[in-house]
Amino acid sequence: MTTLTVKDRAGRLREEPPRGGRPRGRWKEILTGWAFVLPAVALFLVMGLYTIGSGFALSFAKWNGFTPEWLWVGIQNYKDLLYADPSLAPEMRRAAWNTLQVMIAVPALTVAIALPLAVTLNSIRRLRSLLRSVYFLPYVTSGIAVYYAWRYVLEPEGSVNLLLRALGLGSLSQPQGFLGNPSTALPTLILILVWSSVPVATLLYLSGLQAIDPNMIEAAQIDGAAPRHVLRRIIWPLLRPITAAIVLLGVRDALHGFQIFLIMTGGGPGGHTDVLGLMTYRLSFFKGLAQTLGVASALGWLLFAAALLLTLVNARMLRRIR
Amino acid sequence: MTAARKRTRILAVAVTLAVGLTAAACGGSGDEKAGTPAAGQTLKMWTFKRSHADALNKAAAQFKSETGIAVTIEAVTPDDVFVSKVQGAAQTNGLPDVLELHAGGEDLEMGASGLLSDLSADVNDAWKQRLLPTTRETGVMTQQRIDIVANDSPFKQVKPGTRFSVPFTAGAFGIVYANKEKLKAAGLSADTPPKTWEEFLDALKATTAKDPQQGGLSLGLKTSQTGFNWVYQPMAHSYLGKEKFQALFAKGAAQGFGSPDGVKSLELYSRLTPYWMPGTTTLGIDEADIAFAQGKSAFDVGGTFTLAFLAQNGLSPDKVLTFPIPPPAEGQNKEISMSPLALTSLGITSTTKNREAALKWLDWVTSPKGAGVVAKSSLDLPATDLGAEAESLLGADLAALQKYFTGAPESAYDAADVTFFPSDYDQVKPGDVMVRLTPLKEATPEQTGTEMDKVMGAMWKSTQ
Repeated sequence: MTTLTVKDRAGRLREEPPRGGRPRGRWKEILTGWAFVLPAVALFLVMGLYTIGSGFALSFAKWNGFTPEWLWVGIQNYKDLLYADPSLAPEMRRAAWNTLQVMIAVPALTVAIALPLAVTLNSIRRLRSLLRSVYFLPYVTSGIAVYYAWRYVLEPEGSVNLLLRALGLGSLSQPQGFLGNPSTALPTLILILVWSSVPVATLLYLSGLQAIDPNMIEAAQIDGAAPRHVLRRIIWPLLRPITAAIVLLGVRDALHGFQIFLIMTGGGPGGHTDVLGLMTYRLSFFKGLAQTLGVASALGWLLFAAALLLTLVNARMLRRIR
Repeated sequence: MTAARKRTRILAVAVTLAVGLTAAACGGSGDEKAGTPAAGQTLKMWTFKRSHADALNKAAAQFKSETGIAVTIEAVTPDDVFVSKVQGAAQTNGLPDVLELHAGGEDLEMGASGLLSDLSADVNDAWKQRLLPTTRETGVMTQQRIDIVANDSPFKQVKPGTRFSVPFTAGAFGIVYANKEKLKAAGLSADTPPKTWEEFLDALKATTAKDPQQGGLSLGLKTSQTGFNWVYQPMAHSYLGKEKFQALFAKGAAQGFGSPDGVKSLELYSRLTPYWMPGTTTLGIDEADIAFAQGKSAFDVGGTFTLAFLAQNGLSPDKVLTFPIPPPAEGQNKEISMSPLALTSLGITSTTKNREAALKWLDWVTSPKGAGVVAKSSLDLPATDLGAEAESLLGADLAALQKYFTGAPESAYDAADVTFFPSDYDQVKPGDVMVRLTPLKEATPEQTGTEMDKVMGAMWKSTQ
C-alpha cells in the first residue's frame, strides 16, 4: 500500500507565485470572476439598491410623479400618517386595525386547518397522491382569476346563497352578498385568504411529518397514547419551527398583500375592508395627481419596519424553541 | 495588411461618413418640421378611454387623407395604469405628442408639473367659440385655482391664464337611466320621467315591488364616491340652492352637513335605502352599468357617457328612458338642469418634436367636422357645439340628453365647480361615509351629518 502525502496543501490549489509580483494567471482569474459577477451586481445596484434607496428618499418628500423636483418635507410624511394629518391618520388607524385582524386570523386559521389535514393525509394509504393534488389545487389556481371567481360565488344570487337556501339555511344567506354586508365582508376575505394559504402550509407540514422518526410515534402508541395525544405531545412540538415559518409567511402576506382586497371589495363596503397594503396602493395611484407618492412610500417603509420587527420576534421565538 | 483589406477599410470609413452625414441632414430636416406641419409626419396619441380609441382612429384616418399627417392612437386603461405609464414616460422622455386626459384636474396637474405645453397663444377666440360655453375655459389655469391650493402645490408656479388643454368631450353626471320594459311592467309610463325626487322614489317603489331582486337601482358603490357625486350632490344642490349647497363644504361648516338643512338633505338621500339593487356596494361603475344592461336592475345612474357604454353592452338607447336626478318637491330649484362640463381634454406634451402638427390635429378633431366623426362613432357628447347638425351626428337619443343642459345658470348644477372644496379634496372619504348612510344603514342622517363635517374639517386642516 502506498501513501500519498502532500506537504503543502495550498500548493495543490494554486501555482507557486513567481518571485517579485502576482501571477498573471491570478489576475486573469480575478477579472474573469468579476466579469461573471458584474452583470448581476450591476442589475442589483440599479434594480435593487437604487430603487430601495430612491424609495426611502421619496418617503421624506412630496411628489406627484410628474414634477422634475421633489419637495423635501423631512419626516412630515411619517408624522402625517401616524398622528399629524387629521384626514390621513384616522384612515391609517382603521386600515391598521383591519390589517391586524387579517394578520392574526389568517395564520391562526391556516395552522388550525393545515396541521390536522397534513396529519390525515400523511396517515392514509389509499388515494394519498390524488388527495394531496386536490388539496394543493387552490395554490395552483390561486391568483386574480380566482378572486373574480370567488366574487361571483359570493354575489347575492351566487352559488353560496343558493346552496344555503337549498339546504334550508336561508337565514344564513346574505341578501346583499357576503361581500356587501359590512359584518361578513372582512371575515369572508379572511376565509378566502386561508383557503389559498392552506395548501402551502399543508405541504410544509407534510414534509415535516415525513422527517419525524416513526419509531417515536410507534413507541408512544405502544405506551397507550391516543392519536390526539400523539398530535399534541409529539407531532406539534416537533413541527413548531414549521409552524413558525407558516405564521411568518401569513403575517408577511397580511402586511403586504392587497390584491384580494383591491379586486374583491376595493376596501368597501364603506371602507370596512380597507387594509394598509391597499391604502399604500391607493395613495400611490388613486389620489388623482395629488403629491402623495411620498406619503405612500413612507407607509411602505412603516410596513417594512413592522415586518422586520415581526421577523426578529419570530427568529427569537425559533431560537427559544430549539 | 493586404491591399484588398486596406481598400475595404477605406470603403467602410467612407460609407460610415456618408451615413452619418445623411443622418445629420435628416436630423436638421426633422427640426425644421417641428415648426411646420408636413405630410408624412406621424403623431402619437395616448387616451385613457378605450371607447374613444376606435372613434379617434376613424377621425385620424380622415385627418390623414386631408393633411397627410398620420396619428397613431393608443388606448391605455384602466386609469391607474394610464397615470403610471405617463409617470414613467415623463421620467424617460418617452411621452407621446398628444394626451387625452380627464378635464379640469388631471390636465392642470400634468401641465403644472411641466408635462404639457402652453396653448394659450394658439387657442384663439374663434377656436373657443366652437366650444360649449361652459367648457371654454376648461384647461386654463385661473388665479382662483392657484389661490385655493396649498403652498407647496405645483400650481403656484404657473402663470394665470396658461392653457394646458382643449376640451374634447363634455357631459354631465347624475343622469338616470330607466329600463322602459320594467317601467311598463310596474304600471308606470315609459315615456314620462319623474318630475320630482319623490316621484322618482315612488317609481323605484313600484319597480321593486314588482320585482324585488331585479327592480331596484344599480350604481357602482364599490367606488363609494359615485353615490355622493352623482346622486346626492345634484339632489342636494336643487334642494338647498347653490349657496347653501356650497356652504355644506365650507371651512368651519357653520351651515355644514350637520346643520338642519344638511341633515334634511341627507334624510332625503337615505330614502333610497330600500331600493338599491342587492349587492350594489360590491359593483364597480362598469359592472353596475352592465348589470342594468343585463336587466338586473330597473334604474341605473351614470353620466351622459353611460349611454354609449350601455349600447356597447347590448342595451339599445331606445329601450331606456333618461332624465337627470330630479329635484325634491320642496326644494329651492323646481326645474333641474345640468351645466355641461368638459369630461376629457386634449393636451400637447412639452417634449413633442411635432408641436405644429399636433396643434393642427387638435384644431381639426375639435372642429365640428372632426368632433362629429368622433361623436358619431363613440356615442359620446363632444365639447364642440355641433349646432343644427347635432341630431344627425349624434342620433336622437344622445342629442336628447343635451336638452338638460339648458336652464337658468343660477339653478344649474355645475359639477366642474370645485372652488368651494378643500384644495386636497379626497372624494373617497365622504363617499365612504355616505355608503354607511345608505345602503348600509349604519348611521342615521344626523350621525352622517356630524361625520361628514368632521371629514370636511379634517381635509380643510390638512390642506392648510
